[in-house]
Amino acid sequence: MSRNEIAWKEQPKFPSTHFVDTRIYTDEQIFREEQEKIFNKCWIIGCHESELPNAYDYRTFSHPGGAKLFMIRGEDMKVRAFYNICPHRGNTLLYDPVGNTKRVTCIFHAWSFNAQGDCIDIPRSKEGYQDRYSSKDAGLREVKSEVGFGGFVWVNVDDNSGTLKEYIGDALGMMEENLSQPLEVFTYHKAIVNTNYKLWHDTNSEFYHDYMHYFNRITGMMQPGYFDRKYKGYPGGHASVGSMEIKYDAYAGSQERAVGWPGLAPGGWVLIDLFPGMTFNLRTSVLRMDTAIPLGPDKLIIEFRGLGLKSDTPEQRAERVRDHNTIWGPFGRNLHEDLLGVHGQGLAMREKSDSKWVLHGREENSTIHDEVGMRHFYAEWGKRMGRPAYDPFGDNKLG
Amino acid sequence: MDSKDFAGFLDLCDPAFRYAITAYIPEIRKEMTWLEQDKEGMKLLFDNLPRHNSDHSPLSRHITVCIVDQDEAKQQAKTISTLQVFKTSLDGGATELFAVGKIYDTVALNGDAPKLLDRNIRLDTRMLGAGYHIPF
Ligand code: FES
Ligand SMILES: [Fe+2]
Repeated sequence: MSRNEIAWKEQPKFPSTHFVDTRIYTDEQIFREEQEKIFNKCWIIGCHESELPNAYDYRTFSHPGGAKLFMIRGEDMKVRAFYNICPHRGNTLLYDPVGNTKRVTCIFHAWSFNAQGDCIDIPRSKEGYQDRYSSKDAGLREVKSEVGFGGFVWVNVDDNSGTLKEYIGDALGMMEENLSQPLEVFTYHKAIVNTNYKLWHDTNSEFYHDYMHYFNRITGMMQPGYFDRKYKGYPGGHASVGSMEIKYDAYAGSQERAVGWPGLAPGGWVLIDLFPGMTFNLRTSVLRMDTAIPLGPDKLIIEFRGLGLKSDTPEQRAERVRDHNTIWGPFGRNLHEDLLGVHGQGLAMREKSDSKWVLHGREENSTIHDEVGMRHFYAEWGKRMGRPAYDPFGDNKLG
Repeated sequence: MDSKDFAGFLDLCDPAFRYAITAYIPEIRKEMTWLEQDKEGMKLLFDNLPRHNSDHSPLSRHITVCIVDQDEAKQQAKTISTLQVFKTSLDGGATELFAVGKIYDTVALNGDAPKLLDRNIRLDTRMLGAGYHIPF
């Protein structure tokens, strides 16, 4: 039976952990708070170490909390992260997304900095500043960074944060063996979608949307054991989904699986979602890494990376590229469907669109079509935000 | 391709046809092949299209042939064209530029009619929104 306005807005017949108020996806104030309380407190992946192989290589990154950053490898081969802003008149220091420079020199008035973030030259400093100010007052703002868990470069803009290890806890334990060899990013692309970042992370946290993917309907879902795959939640809002065998040969054109991945059973699949918006997705011969970078409540950049082993032969690499792009590239079969899904959610859930609830009510003993992954995420979200996702403004009068 | 006459497109291709969409990715300083198919693979891709969920906004591929280089001995021609792909929304019909790049074609001239032997779509555009299931 269709519903009238009252029935549409009625509290869903689930416990409050099993639905969320759609204003968490649309409200500007909530988004600002998320930047402050979540993104500016959490460890976020800025890039991968293989993107900075040599001393003085740098890579820029738009941090989801709002700050523009760059990561640079020093002479000592250590990677450090800084705000990409000149302390003089606020100019952008590095314009290109990637490059190599011994000195970071601002194009405006030529203040320059080394890869440790020290200011090493202010033109005509003495003449203008006398003894009142000098290069030692003009260092860059350094941001905590660590390289780890597969060689990713992680950043945390909170000087008082714990370590990356503490942040991850045991969440990546299932992939320990898979991440034990040096990796290399072989593909990278971005997509901008008019949707909320949590909706993308939700898509990466639920497999019930197998129905959206022709590829999944005829491969994984048909196979015995598929519905036994289990979610495991970890402290901090992280979650994993265990391995399985996938019957790839059911999808014509993806029969031969030769290269594989260290520690992954042929046809296996491991997926780990890290709070608040990063996903390790290991399948066939490829590790895919998504990083969700919100630009507003309804605008999102997703960075997609595909990784192989640093030790790959050209033939092995070519197979990983094929495996990745057939499913997950911009012309891949699944990525387009996933992005259409969140794009559609972004269209439907707008302020004034009178959306009200999103349901996370499926319970199937934490197996693959259970929606426990999303529930686990929103428990952490609510804790960090000081607002329950089912009643973010305290006005839902829930029973 | 614009009119989704995929069988018609494949009829213009040589049995040894190879198709690729490639791009240089400056952020990681690497070459990338986003799609690579032989004639059989292209046919499969086309046949599977109705089974997938896809953006149905039609594309207009605008192609300007710039260079034609004919090799009499090989009975082949190589062409370089510029490519602009526009996408028109079904709801309202607004058109947006979707992608730009170049097309490198090799055409076999040894049969009754010219046949496309190799097509490399070389994209400058790398931000492709939600992506697209049909090649350019
Ligand atoms: S703004 Fe950078 S040197 Fe002046
Ligand atoms: Fe998906």
